[in-house]
Amino acid sequence: MVQNAVVTDDPSFPCCRAGIGLRLPHLAEIAATRPPLGFIEVHAENYMAETSALDLLLELRRDYPLSVHAVALSLGSAEELDQHHLCRLKKLVDRLEPTLVSEHLAWCAIGGTYLNDLLPLPYTEESLDLFCRHVDEVQALLKRQLLIENPASYLRFTHSTLPEAEFLAETANRTGCGILCDVNNIYVSARNLRFDPIAYLDALPAQAIGEIHLAGHHAAEDVDLLIDDHGSRVAQPVWELYAAALRRRNLLPTLIEWDTNLPALDVLLDEARHAQALADTRGYTDAA
Amino acid sequence: MLLELQMQFRRAMLGGDTTEIVSKIREDELAPEARLQIYRNHVFATLGAALEGTFPTVCRLVDARFFGYAAHEYLRERPPHSRCLIEYGAEFADFLAGFEPCKDLPYLADVARFEWALKTAATVRERAPLAIEALAEISSERAPHLSLCLQPSASYLASPWPIDAIWQANQLADVPTVDLATAGTCIEVRRSGEGSGWQRLALDAFAFRRALAEGVNLATAAATATAVDPAFDLAAELDGIFSDRLAIGLG
Repeated sequence: MVQNAVVTDDPSFPCCRAGIGLRLPHLAEIAATRPPLGFIEVHAENYMAETSALDLLLELRRDYPLSVHAVALSLGSAEELDQHHLCRLKKLVDRLEPTLVSEHLAWCAIGGTYLNDLLPLPYTEESLDLFCRHVDEVQALLKRQLLIENPASYLRFTHSTLPEAEFLAETANRTGCGILCDVNNIYVSARNLRFDPIAYLDALPAQAIGEIHLAGHHAAEDVDLLIDDHGSRVAQPVWELYAAALRRRNLLPTLIEWDTNLPALDVLLDEARHAQALADTRGYTDAA
Repeated sequence: MLLELQMQFRRAMLGGDTTEIVSKIREDELAPEARLQIYRNHVFATLGAALEGTFPTVCRLVDARFFGYAAHEYLRERPPHSRCLIEYGAEFADFLAGFEPCKDLPYLADVARFEWALKTAATVRERAPLAIEALAEISSERAPHLSLCLQPSASYLASPWPIDAIWQANQLADVPTVDLATAGTCIEVRRSGEGSGWQRLALDAFAFRRALAEGVNLATAAATATAVDPAFDLAAELDGIFSDRLAIGLG
């Protein structure tokens, strides 16, 4: 259990300014042009080697608040956490001193195999105990709060007994972690699993939310599912859901994520400006 | 219970064996198989893309479609252990060497080894080099038993094929012809600036540096080099190592 559960109440963090996920092809341009951004977020696993990218990030760190988003701790794995990977994360976090550190409500490795995807958990008491134990372990090692992101889901298990939002809320309650609310993931999962996204949003404890993610998705060609590919602009219904989230809890750092078919940096900056405009009016303007 | 479920899920992802897992997935108006397939597509697409990012020249040599097939087979046989994708692919060259559909491209595995060496050298920081004056303080009795620690990014590759020329040619839009009948190559790869670089070495210098990199002492490394070429000049080669800023310590 960590104290100070809502990191974004820290007045030193420019929480009402939107940021972007910084991907390697944009690194040099950001370093050269220093566009106005609330913060930048990087994937931890891309900076664990001693590359020139790490050197550039250390330089950028002086000018931008930084969020470190880990994708491979596999907090939901039914085995011990990978201590080697955990130590590498700690070393990186100690070096970068980011404002936020986050991971996912998912698993991605089992039996020594890393599958590089955010795989679904059954939401049971067994999973909840295990997941909370792992979050506790990471927070104790890093000596800081972790934000946990809701995943984009394409299936759910027959033996799940808890709704996902309740699972997240209870994790936050037991461990003191915050919640990274990925609005696009809520929308995608709601369509794929046939539930009401607003009800999901209402079930999250608003005060525990420390960051919002926005991204694009697309419809699968041959099956009635939405795919969270981070490969396009944020869809209109997701902007509307974002506005609804802002009306529940404003002043949150909001991030634009883009991973596939990466466009020119200007496109990401434009999306971030739109998120900022909505945040400035607490979502009460036309979300278009 | 959860462990068993996750092992079944892994089998469904890598081997395509979904028999155990499908009964545990809710339909929600769609076949569980179709739902699982989304995850499977993502696992193979992203890991395949990671391999293509590490081995772009190999990909170009065989074309993207064939590379995708080879990557898919490699993934099924040797999925990643490291959580950092930049570290995935260490065994890809060995896999290609034994991959029957590649047997008509005998140089392919060595080009993959070269590409892997270039990639990994760019992830290791150069250390402060040792000045040659450090050797002056060593007594002549002790010198043969010394070992030299080299830059941690340095690696040594020998191939019967001109792998660096093949690699270089394939960085150009119009690939020039590479004469495969030219002699093989002995190459040193190491970190250079923001990335990595390489140089060809004479047979004796290559044998000497590779022996040092493996941790043997100066006398043994020199004997290895002399066995390759009786004209091996120890003093000149030591000079070369220090002027290349390759030595970082004495052992």
